Amino acid sequence: MKELQIKAAELLENGTINLLIGFCQDVSKRPVPCFIETAAEANILVFNEHCKNNLSVYLHKKEVKDAVKIGVVANVATLRSILQLLSENQLWSLTLILLTVNGAGELVVLSSAEELETYVQANFPTCRPEDQEMLDKLNAMSRAERWAFWKDQLSECVKCYACRAVCPMCYCTVCTTECNQPQWIKTSAETSGNFEYHTMRAMHLGGRCINCGECGRICPAGIPVHLLTAQMNQEIEKEFGGKTGWSLKGGYALNAFKPEDKEKFIK
Amino acid sequence: MAEPFEPKLVAFVCNWCTYAGADLAGTSRTKYATNVRIIRFPCTGRIDFMLLIKAFQNGADGIIVSGCHPNDCHYTSGNFHARRRWMVFKSLLDFMGFPTDRITFSWVSAAEGKKWADLVNETTESIRAKGPFVDYRTLDYTLLTQLENEGIAD
Amino acid sequence: MEQKILLSSDIAVFFDGLLQSGKVVVAPVLKQSGKVFFKPVQSYAEVATDYIQTTFSAKEVVFPKVEELFTYHHNEDGSLDINDQLDRIPETVIWGLRPCDAAGFDYLNTFFLQENPDSYFKARYDKTTLVAISCNTCDESCFCTSVDSHPGDTKGSDLLLTAMNGKYYVEVVTEKGIKLITSNNTLFTSTDTLSKDAFLAKPLTHFSMEEIKDKIQNAYASAEWKHASMGCYSCGACAFACPTCTCFDIQDEGTQDHGKRVRCWDACGLSQFTKHASGHNPRNTQTERRRQRLMHKFKYSVENLGVVSCVGCGRCIRVCPSHLNIFENILSVTK
Repeated sequence: MKELQIKAAELLENGTINLLIGFCQDVSKRPVPCFIETAAEANILVFNEHCKNNLSVYLHKKEVKDAVKIGVVANVATLRSILQLLSENQLWSLTLILLTVNGAGELVVLSSAEELETYVQANFPTCRPEDQEMLDKLNAMSRAERWAFWKDQLSECVKCYACRAVCPMCYCTVCTTECNQPQWIKTSAETSGNFEYHTMRAMHLGGRCINCGECGRICPAGIPVHLLTAQMNQEIEKEFGGKTGWSLKGGYALNAFKPEDKEKFIK
Repeated sequence: MAEPFEPKLVAFVCNWCTYAGADLAGTSRTKYATNVRIIRFPCTGRIDFMLLIKAFQNGADGIIVSGCHPNDCHYTSGNFHARRRWMVFKSLLDFMGFPTDRITFSWVSAAEGKKWADLVNETTESIRAKGPFVDYRTLDYTLLTQLENEGIAD
Repeated sequence: MEQKILLSSDIAVFFDGLLQSGKVVVAPVLKQSGKVFFKPVQSYAEVATDYIQTTFSAKEVVFPKVEELFTYHHNEDGSLDINDQLDRIPETVIWGLRPCDAAGFDYLNTFFLQENPDSYFKARYDKTTLVAISCNTCDESCFCTSVDSHPGDTKGSDLLLTAMNGKYYVEVVTEKGIKLITSNNTLFTSTDTLSKDAFLAKPLTHFSMEEIKDKIQNAYASAEWKHASMGCYSCGACAFACPTCTCFDIQDEGTQDHGKRVRCWDACGLSQFTKHASGHNPRNTQTERRRQRLMHKFKYSVENLGVVSCVGCGRCIRVCPSHLNIFENILSVTK
């Protein structure tokens, strides 16, 4: 990715950015997040369809925020996350330059929030086919089958909180799980506590999650937790309209209401 | 020698409408099932979904959530927020296979004492027919052992 | 130490024999997600063999992710029942450990059974027999040869099997190993010591603990820690996957009438791990937390317990969402 490396080196050299978050290869040739501060390091950068990490989550990290002027090599999910975070008034202390590669393989540089919004809306992704397939399969099951499925999956959860850690929308400085007055969620990894944790997290993300799918992809126990928020977002979009990670204006579904909201289950 | 199952119901209600409606049922000497434990909130908008989960965690077999009718909220829009929240929460629980038929949502106004009594009676009978919420309490094997000892699960 | 031969065609017979004798056998199982975990199995057919390493270690057998320490129950007459499960732990065999995993149990032993033995760990460990299988393959995340071990190491195991052309060379390391073989000893024939070398994987050696022991004395002040921990997301995945991480939390759950005390895994990488009741957090940044993790494993454990608390299994590297590399970090802070 010569073009990307040259551009990154240029931005670091002329001081437009103090830190670039991108991808490089690790010992097993996997693309992993890397953090470079000098133009000389730019030649380690790579970018391809295997670069799946959502790097926007690092923008909440103190060691990163200290750099203030930050470049991010972003896939579409990362761009949408940044747009969603901007619509939630996060990232206001940072000056961001976003580097991405479009469908034609060309380097695109986005230097303002408006440019970001225009690009995202022009390149808005649909639900990944393998995720849609799982959602359809689960929705076709009976309630008891779904319960058995999630009980089986959630019994494997070890409460490592990797799902929360990689999520750009989980930026609370003190998470509900860390509150012990009262103890909302059990700290131990018992299935009932795991159930409560994932339900709580899905609710806190409903209408905010942009479906990057990272939480499910990196889960060490192999639990497809991303399906919970994927399902919720589809329901929320259907009932209340609005897409996540779409516009700077935002508008969180659970923060708003319309008097005409309709449901069938309230007696 | 097990006693017959008596459902434990918890009701999360708003102070201005449903709680007043329950008061009306009381002052009218309307008899209704005593299985419900009523928790008073200023408004349904204050009811956090985590509280419902906490109730099940602590042994509730069924839950009633009730407040002012839309447009009648004492705080103007609290119940509108609540309605959205419940729609999203219910759809999430449905997706996870949680038996959402153990949660009854309703609008009961301060004048609807009879509606409250009927609601509690119906919900009690419906939960009695479903039995104790063993599915949730047996998610953890250790708790299962305890319930086995108590003769609830087999 | 005795050496035996077990024909490859007999391995399923031996394995199923262990099950038939009433033992719980925990072995690597391939799940639908494509990951391999240690799980109790019902037959040799369930055992996965074609993989480099399991996602989580087998420490869960002796150090469960959630362990009920005791339950309490107030009776109607006012008396209190307190129960634990220590006398209900079944005879267990962990099958298919890698030598690094077995070395991990050796560390757990040292940690939990020193001056004040942990009775819960001891009760489980005493009932557990470890059957390790040498590695004939490895990947770039494996680095056992850098931490005082190697793919054919018998450290920590009760039996070590090495696959050799249609048969297994069985090293019977301990009394527990002898007992396990005796249950099925017609399948085993004695042999002289054989060389395993040709059948073992050759992971790269990045450093030796000899070198590191000196260099790490000054590593605390290294300016490299910030860079080494930039990618860290502050989750607990590495600690929970690790065969030697032992940090735990104790929580009480229950009401006045009944409840329980549980021990559960905790991780030093989590941001609230060192938060004091006053609100002060001495390790407030990820840089400090990651430094603590690595210094603990490569310096403090060595000084306090005499053994490095890392076995080079590479799980932390594989399971980390950003594949943070522990041996590269050690090299960079000890430069």
